[in-house]
Order: sequence, then structure tokens, then C-alpha cells
Amino acid sequence: MGGRIMASTINSSTSNGIVITPDTSGEIELQANGVTKAKVTANGLQDANGNSLRGGSYRNLIINGDMRIDQRNAGSAVSFGYIVDRFIATGTGSLDEVVRSYQQVSDAPNGFDYSSKLTITTAETAFTDTEHIGLAQRIEGQNVAHLQWGTANAKTVTLSFWVKSSLTGTFSGVFQNSARDRSYPFEYTISSADTWEYKTVTISGDTTGTWLKDNGIGIRVNFNHGCGPDRKGTVDTWAGADYRASSTQTVELGENLNATWQITGLQLEVGEGASDFEFLPYDVQLQRCQRYYQDFVTDQANMIGEAISTTRIVWGGVFLPCAMRATPTTTVHGANGLAGYVSGYNAVSHYNGGFTMVGMTRNGGGQRSDGSAVLTTGVFYQCRLTLEAEL
Amino acid sequence: MQTNIGGRIMSIYKIINNDVGNFEGIKYINNNKVKFIPCDPANSDYQEYLQWLDEGNTPEPADEVTE
Repeated sequence: MGGRIMASTINSSTSNGIVITPDTSGEIELQANGVTKAKVTANGLQDANGNSLRGGSYRNLIINGDMRIDQRNAGSAVSFGYIVDRFIATGTGSLDEVVRSYQQVSDAPNGFDYSSKLTITTAETAFTDTEHIGLAQRIEGQNVAHLQWGTANAKTVTLSFWVKSSLTGTFSGVFQNSARDRSYPFEYTISSADTWEYKTVTISGDTTGTWLKDNGIGIRVNFNHGCGPDRKGTVDTWAGADYRASSTQTVELGENLNATWQITGLQLEVGEGASDFEFLPYDVQLQRCQRYYQDFVTDQANMIGEAISTTRIVWGGVFLPCAMRATPTTTVHGANGLAGYVSGYNAVSHYNGGFTMVGMTRNGGGQRSDGSAVLTTGVFYQCRLTLEAEL
Repeated sequence: MQTNIGGRIMSIYKIINNDVGNFEGIKYINNNKVKFIPCDPANSDYQEYLQWLDEGNTPEPADEVTE
């Protein structure tokens, strides 16, 4: 016992077997050789460090939370759109000045290989009105239907992540539904500049509002990096409004030139308390990402087809490695990497015909490409495809 | 949304029909982006296109079917 645990009740006379009730500390510790190995707390079974011992595969509702998969950019910096797979830079279109640079980097806390890094390359003087910028993942409704949000049985969830910033203070984010008419701002504090810190946030599920359970957006998880007053709401409170940040966040990252912010190990799971980050095998994580975006890298799977006229190529079809969320938007690239191009079968010459590909379904296909008259009838061509079915 | 090419205002969307004149989807051209957007209500690019239409815009018509 080591004097640390004093159960106030050990009762074996009930019909439910042995019941051990803790004293006023509220915890029962399991020790070996005087060292705590596990604990039973108000938040459930935990390890000695307070991490939840909740098991189960696929408990992380976030895809690519370790920022490993970067099909679009392969580690190159981008200023908007998707950064690593499933994570998108968000913001209003009316921003005055701010320019961002997002990049997958190898700087990460122990146990992780990558993080997503934001650098403010041009600062906003001040976020006004509804202006805002952030980083978001939109979770498919089918993957969060079991949370039962929008009902009286809405489940509590816990968000956990590693974060690092050149600035210290109170940062915030928000949970939203698809229509953005339900919002829950949350906060976290960064205490030390340029130091990885682990954060957890527990959120009571929304008992009202409309939360999609189909292949639309189920939940938006958004981290804010600057927000005008018209999009700020009360922290830790569900509201019928479109909020992007808490009204009490102290750091408007986008107003600070060269400010940085990094995140990795993002996990969203059912229940109170965070469990260890769930690392999925690379191939599993990649395929989860491919439901939303696929890039047929040139040396992996070229499309090969024959020109049946000077403007049309008929392609051999492909079967996709997994069904996409929706019929994908298709982009044809030449071997030179440029959109709208096709290349000769030997990839020596590239042809700009403004080509697209018609006929792709959620599972594959790809019938033909039409463009301007740059082809030679009867000659074989190749292209690289990108397929997009993001939320 | 429109783009100015060589002094001409060009629509960035163009209707794509199949060989018998039936609607297949939309071609999107803007700067260095060229892509085909399928007619799927769950596709977010198609949702953007529908919003663009709601704003009163008109896409380029499809090429005429030739015999």
C-alpha cells in the first residue's frame, strides 16, 4: 500500500463481486515494488503518467494526425490549400495582408517523425470583423456518427496533441458542424517558446444542432491563428453561431512576422482523458488518406492510352486502391508535372492540350481525355493522375 | 468567378458533354490548373461550381457535337 492508497470500502458482499471504493483522493493506484503502474481515476483506467489505457484500434478519429502522409507537397512549403494530407489551411478571402507558409517538417517531439509547421511570412496588421486564419481537418460524418452529436446521448470526446510555437500565451481552436451553425471554442496555453508541449482538451458532445452522419462533413476541427472579433465566442460553450476562435485567446499568431506554430500527434477519441497516440501502419494510414486524395506518382502508375484523333486519347482504365469518398475531380499531368499536359509514351515530349480526364468513378475507370489538337493519331501517350474527393 | 485572358473575360468553367450531347461534367481552367469536375453532389468542387452558378454566373457552353 505504501501508505498512498487507503480504500475506504472493500465490499465483497454485493451481487456485483468485489467493490473497492477509493478514499477522498478519488484514485486507486496499482503499484509494483512501490511504483505506480496504473490508476483508476474519475476519467477511467490510466497509466502512471495519467494517459488513458483505453484500448481499441482506429480510436483516433483524426486521419494522418502524425503528419506523416504528404502526397501533394512531399515536404515542400505551400501558402494555402492542403498541407499534409487531410489538413487544410483555412481563412477568409478578404484578408488584407497576412501570408502564410505551411510545411511538413522533421522537427517533432520524441516518438514522432514529422510535424506541420506554420510560419507567418507577412503579418496582418490586425484581424478585424470576420477575418480569420487557421488549420483544420474535416472529419467525414460516417466516421463520427457513433458520437451521436445532436442528440441527448452525445458522447464526450478528448482532443490531444503536441504543439510548439515561437509565441507563448492562450491559443484557441473550435469544433464546428458542417453548416457552421454550431461552434465550440476551446483553448490551450503554450508556456514556453519553441518547446514541444503536450495538450489535452475534453469536450462534451453537442446535444443539439444538425451533425451529418453521411459522406459529408461530420465535424470540423479547427486551430485558429488569428481572428477578428465577429468570429469569436465564449470558450468551452456550445453556441448556435459561426465562431473560429475563443474571445479570450491572447495570441493572434498571424499578426506576428516570422512567428511559427507546429503541431503533431493530433488525436480525437471518445471519452474523457487522452490515450497514447495511435500509430497506424504506413500503408493503412496512406489508404485512409487515399479515400480523399490520390496521386499517381509518375513511377508508380502511369496511365497509358492511344490517341484516336488529334484531340482525343482513350486510356486503359485503372482500379483505385480504395474507393474514394465521392466521384473524384481529376487532373491530368504530363511527365513534366504540369496540369493539362500529356506526354509521349517515352516521356520525352510533353503536349499542352488543356487535357482533362472523363469517366473516373469512386473506384476507378478513366475513359478518355479531350484537348486541343496537339496529338498524333495512333500514337501512345501517358499521363500522371491526381484524384481529389476532399470534404 | 472569371479570369482575364488577353484582354478577354473568360469563364473558368466549361460544360463537357459526351459524344451524343449529354452532360458529363465541367472543365475548370484557371491559371495553371486544369481539371475535370464530375456531376456528383458530394464532390466539393461540384458544390463550388453550383454556388458559382447561384451567384449568377454562366459557364462556357460545351463544344458542338460533330458528325
